[in-house]
Amino acid sequence: MAGKIVLCRCEDVTLADLAHSVSRGYRDIEEVKRYTGFGTGPCQGKECLAVVATELAKLTGQPPAAIPPFTSRPPLAPTPLRLLARDPGAHRFEDDQPSGAAWDDAPTIVETK
Amino acid sequence: MRGYRDESIAAAALASGARVLSRSLKYHRPRTFFCLEGHCSGCLVRLSGVPNLRACQAPCAPGAEVEGQNAFPSTEIDLLGAVDFLFARGMDHHTLMTGSSVLNRLANKVVRQLSGLGKLPSHAAPELPEVQRYDVDVCVIGGGPAGLEAAAQVARAGKHTVLVDDQLRPGGSLRADPRTGRGAAEASWRGALAAGVAVLARSTAIGYFPEDDGGVLAVSAPERLYRVYAKQWIWATGGYAVNLPFSDNDRPGVIAARAVGRLLVDHGILAGDKIAVVEAPSLGDDVAALARALTAAGAEVTRVPLERMTTVRGRAWASSIDTVDGRVECDVVAVAAIPAPASEGARQQGCRVVLDPPAGGFRIVVDADGRTTAPGVWACGDVTGYLGPAAAAADGARVGANVAAVA
Repeated sequence: MAGKIVLCRCEDVTLADLAHSVSRGYRDIEEVKRYTGFGTGPCQGKECLAVVATELAKLTGQPPAAIPPFTSRPPLAPTPLRLLARDPGAHRFEDDQPSGAAWDDAPTIVETK
Repeated sequence: MRGYRDESIAAAALASGARVLSRSLKYHRPRTFFCLEGHCSGCLVRLSGVPNLRACQAPCAPGAEVEGQNAFPSTEIDLLGAVDFLFARGMDHHTLMTGSSVLNRLANKVVRQLSGLGKLPSHAAPELPEVQRYDVDVCVIGGGPAGLEAAAQVARAGKHTVLVDDQLRPGGSLRADPRTGRGAAEASWRGALAAGVAVLARSTAIGYFPEDDGGVLAVSAPERLYRVYAKQWIWATGGYAVNLPFSDNDRPGVIAARAVGRLLVDHGILAGDKIAVVEAPSLGDDVAALARALTAAGAEVTRVPLERMTTVRGRAWASSIDTVDGRVECDVVAVAAIPAPASEGARQQGCRVVLDPPAGGFRIVVDADGRTTAPGVWACGDVTGYLGPAAAAADGARVGANVAAVA
């Protein structure tokens, strides 16, 4: 039996998964990302985005230049949150008082089914 | 495990005979490093109680505890690897066990136990570090051949320049190519320092926030976050070592050709005794140079064009490959693909990119001077389309001079 052709190492997304996505009608790069999960792992698309986009162009018969990249969002690499915790820009809440009034006013989270 | 001080844990692991470092998220396929450049997810380990750290970007230190992750009972023998056999033709998680609501609830419980990467740290984070601010004329992102030359040019013109590089030691692809090598990398790095460039090593540009005080680049180092404000920006992030699509291309032992070069040139490690190079067309000169150096170091090298490649054999480590011309015994499969331009940071600054497969992927669009489509933002080297180390250095020097003239 033929083995798996892995396009996205982080999320184990294969060429067959990409073809399946296209066959279900998810042909836009953002749709393919959401359907297969490619590009959502620790590498954030560094290894897979160009490969998936190139294969997507072949599968859908589009010229490569017609395929945009998916939206690039921070952080571009795994970042420990503690590095951000003392950033002045992070102090948007009254988080200098961890048990303070800000939390008492927070809406109660209700679990829904 | 033994290693040299400041050598990466991944390189030391390979030289010490350690093979599988972790298991993959869904099918629990064996994993180890592929790129050796801190970009793929192959070498994530638990290091001294902290999960999901890249072994290739963590320096060896006495007493460091390295544990594999995402496997039970061990990375070498992982019972959850059965998932890979049970779903040999793939698993569509959208429809898996959705036929019955009882089965679906059960499946959700099981999957939630299995999903996720690594376990929580064993101890609370140490003291939170202060954030440091840089206000400069020019910020260069990427300390490879293009970035080091560009930064040196700008700094020699008297501009306050900071350079951000995410590797253990700057030099980028210079350290992976036998035609340049460690000496060229160290010389270029020293040149940038002598010109007055502030070099932030082991520091990653993690995002650009245009709404923040006219635009700030957030940069993370192992123990610090930097906020960088600059008048001009130069993206010299190069290209990522990527894989080629062939069957079982994710087996440990299938390694980026640039990583095989890096091990040889920068670490003095011969990755294997019998190395099969699977190559994309158009990289002939690069592969020939690498093959000569590997052969001179004592390896047996077989070059296989991608279109002749069929599959990788071996379980936890590649043992041979099948090609349309027959089987090739090997202990390493080196993948020579065109590096994919690292353009995602520049995209956050509004630079236009275009998918150009012969250039490696989404290259930044630049004019003849190196200007991107975003004001004050420039790009040079492999991130504008693959050039190779020597040509990238020349491009960096050229664009650096253009930036110095306007900054």
